[in-house]
Amino acid sequence: MNGIHDLGGMHGFGPIEREKNEPVFHEDWERRIFGLLNLTMGAAQIHVDEIRHAIEKMPPAEYLASPYYEHWLYGAEKVLAELGLVTPEELDKRTAEMAKREAK
Amino acid sequence: MPALPKAMVWEVVKGGMSARAQVDAPARFKPGDRVVARNINPVGHTRLPRYIRGKQGVVQSNHGGFAFADTRAHRQGDQPHHLYSVRFEARELWGADAAARDAVYIDLWEPYIEPAN
Repeated sequence: MNGIHDLGGMHGFGPIEREKNEPVFHEDWERRIFGLLNLTMGAAQIHVDEIRHAIEKMPPAEYLASPYYEHWLYGAEKVLAELGLVTPEELDKRTAEMAKREAK
Repeated sequence: MPALPKAMVWEVVKGGMSARAQVDAPARFKPGDRVVARNINPVGHTRLPRYIRGKQGVVQSNHGGFAFADTRAHRQGDQPHHLYSVRFEARELWGADAAARDAVYIDLWEPYIEPAN
């Protein structure tokens, strides 16, 4: 699809940041998403191409404003919903439960 | 068997899952062949970037058979095809102002390209 992911040749995004001794993960949550997506793909027999296509379908403004591993999370949630394995309502409910637990 | 056995975890994390696959059809192109990237605009998944569609390039090498992302993304099977490295001159892509020695090499499945006339 001709989506926002296909950025080749576009101007205005500024220089590519090069980081010295760049860590594999910048935040701990990124590490968790990495594991979560790989396990999800294994458990539900999902190909990486399905995840990539799900990410392409992100609303364009959201795609540009969100970090790389958030795209992974979006892809996992989208494919799981499309396969009928988890509903967005279930995810929202669980997220709210976890937020409540964190707040304590 | 678990979906992702423990023994496979390191392999998957370190190397990824290879999409290499057997293709029975003979290769349509060989290194040195001049090709044109097809101007297609599918609404599904494709790994053919917009900026090379309709542009000419030269086949550098054939990586062998690989599962086709365009079908696998939609659960339509591996449908493997030959995958080629194709060189596109910067001036072909971006016009006369681009540097003469610059080029990009893009991996393209056989259905993405046609012989250039």
